[in-house]
Amino acid sequence: MDAQFLIEVETLAAALDQLDYYGVLKIPATATPPEIKAAYYRESRTFHPDRYAAVPSAEVRDLVGRIYRRVNEAYTVLRDDRKRARYLADISGPDRERKLRFTEADEAAVKEEQKRKLEEQLGQTPNGRKFYAAALTEIQAGRWDAAERALKSALMYEPGNARFKEQLALVAAEAEKLRPKGDYRIK
Amino acid sequence: MSDDIAVGIDLGTSYSCVATAQGDGAPPAVLPNEWGERTHASVVSFLDDGTVLVGNDAKKNIITNAENTVYSAKRLIGRFYFSDEVKKAQAVMPYRIVEGPNNSVRIGVRDKIFSVPEVSALVLKEMKAIAETALGREVKKAVVTCPAYFNDNQRQATKDAGRIAGLEVLRIINEPTAAALAYGFGRDINQKICVYDLGGGTFDVSILEIGKDVFEVLSTAGDTYLGGDDFDDRIMTWLADDFLAKHGLDLRQNKFCLQMLKEAGERAKIDVGRDGVAAIQVPGICQSPEGEVIDLAQKLTQDQFNRMVMDLVQRTFKVCDEALQSARLTAGDIDAVILVGGPTRLPIIRNSVRHYFQRDPMTGVDPDEVVALGAAIQARALLSTTAATAGQASYLLDVTPLSLRVGTVGGFTEKIIEKNTPIPIEKSKTFTTSRDGQDRVRIRVYQGESNRADGCELLGEFEFTGFRIGYRGEVQIQVTFEIDSNGIVNVSATDLETGQKTSTTISLSSGLSEQDLRKAIDDNAGIELARGPRAA
Repeated sequence: MDAQFLIEVETLAAALDQLDYYGVLKIPATATPPEIKAAYYRESRTFHPDRYAAVPSAEVRDLVGRIYRRVNEAYTVLRDDRKRARYLADISGPDRERKLRFTEADEAAVKEEQKRKLEEQLGQTPNGRKFYAAALTEIQAGRWDAAERALKSALMYEPGNARFKEQLALVAAEAEKLRPKGDYRIK
Repeated sequence: MSDDIAVGIDLGTSYSCVATAQGDGAPPAVLPNEWGERTHASVVSFLDDGTVLVGNDAKKNIITNAENTVYSAKRLIGRFYFSDEVKKAQAVMPYRIVEGPNNSVRIGVRDKIFSVPEVSALVLKEMKAIAETALGREVKKAVVTCPAYFNDNQRQATKDAGRIAGLEVLRIINEPTAAALAYGFGRDINQKICVYDLGGGTFDVSILEIGKDVFEVLSTAGDTYLGGDDFDDRIMTWLADDFLAKHGLDLRQNKFCLQMLKEAGERAKIDVGRDGVAAIQVPGICQSPEGEVIDLAQKLTQDQFNRMVMDLVQRTFKVCDEALQSARLTAGDIDAVILVGGPTRLPIIRNSVRHYFQRDPMTGVDPDEVVALGAAIQARALLSTTAATAGQASYLLDVTPLSLRVGTVGGFTEKIIEKNTPIPIEKSKTFTTSRDGQDRVRIRVYQGESNRADGCELLGEFEFTGFRIGYRGEVQIQVTFEIDSNGIVNVSATDLETGQKTSTTISLSSGLSEQDLRKAIDDNAGIELARGPRAA
């Protein structure tokens, strides 16, 4: 192992806490998944601890270990689309300095976001879910009027649900088409 | 290049194997013992004269010296005494399994009590002796393999076993990863492969992506309660039930008969796999109360056998589903399937694998030896300082098989490190004090996929002391969880404000203390390995 490499390891290990994950893997923030994987392999070939297992200096092994653990950490976040999106938002924001490492709070936020999306798909309240499910069955059966009523009921429980409103607009349009034209009414 | 040497040891539930890779480019080779045997039963028989017989000769003693012959110790390693696996072992094993400190497992032989790593150490000692005889020199370093799905307790115990046997364990590597390394090393391929590893007592699946010299484990899944032994069990149950119906005698009531039955079951499994039919003959398996000697005679056909074990085979594919799903792949994305472990020789396994992956499993990979060969390649790499520059390198990018968790209030746990995360890795979590003047923080660390603590495996309780003392909520302690390249968990803590490292003590761990280990090393060195009497 040459002196130049030693210097590189020392500088990198010292700068580790100032680098974001893109910096750790030495790639631009626009890198594609195959580029991320290629970068991970490249850094693994350089910093994999196995390469240095027989190096007598415990200090070098320690530094390489620190770098490589961060390489793994970076890869774990960047290979996951959802985590990556959250991370990119984090480091582009004003709190960049504090958010260079993906934290448990981020992890929780990603999970929360996922849950919210899922709930919006199906409804957030028991009654909202019930009426929405009923509406979907009616849509399947082509009973637009009934579907419209069910969606309106669902919206009573979840007035803010964007997904429900979207469906209602579609269903209302369909129902409108089927309604008899003319302006008579049964009183 | 130093002339240091390290071997690779596959420490199996039923059989073990030792291999070495010497020189820079030479392919690895299995080291046979003096009788030319390449795999050795992981059986330890304690003889009358105080010596210990290990290997295929010891296996014969399972019947003749049942109480003092320990087999399948790997099923017990790193387990708690109250676990189901230990209870099951107590029912079928002829040797004494007793409780040790902190819910650990101990094995009683004659008037002595051994920890499980001490018994496994005797198997490793035999492997070391075989290697030393074959190589004509001392061997002090080794890479030892363990199932990918082993948890921290089991890995730590395996590592301890190596140390007790007088070996410096350079690395604990996963069996399927070792197999993949042996398959792909030096072949310059780019493939996604699946390693289907059905051993004597454990089942593992790993999905890997091989890119030239990089072996990236995409996911791993397993079942540490499923193996070839369970196939034998099915045959035994069938034989015993049949015998009970015919003669009104339950062979399972007598440990001597039980061992004969077990041997017959294992042989029948092998015969039926090879010949399509097995003739089971055990003359004089027991005596009726009237003193009449009764033989056991049965015929087992392929069809009968397949029906007996179908659910076990299906269980393995549930695990395959899980592994593929974690890797975000489907069976069709896999370029090659590697079979590892003796039971994968069974036609029912081969056919089912072919059906599941829609391709033939790789031939030319010896399922009994491939793991030891991979370990030997890794051992050479870890000793060498020049391999990387000489273009001989290979990089294993492995993952942790289980999520790491900490206990929270009400018996729940919180995930810290997700399963299938590449290792080595570290993650920190901040804890605050909950009382004024609190001087210690205790956390329990678990591994598993349940958010309830009782659904996970306890690794230990860590207590941190020596931080600042202040009002509640004021003192913040940052706890760092690290999983090293062996898959072993290390926990440390610092006071967030002062940066002062706190001192850590571990309790409730089933592992051996440093003091126990030292004593075990001395004891092991004092035990002499017997050479079995053989016809030349």
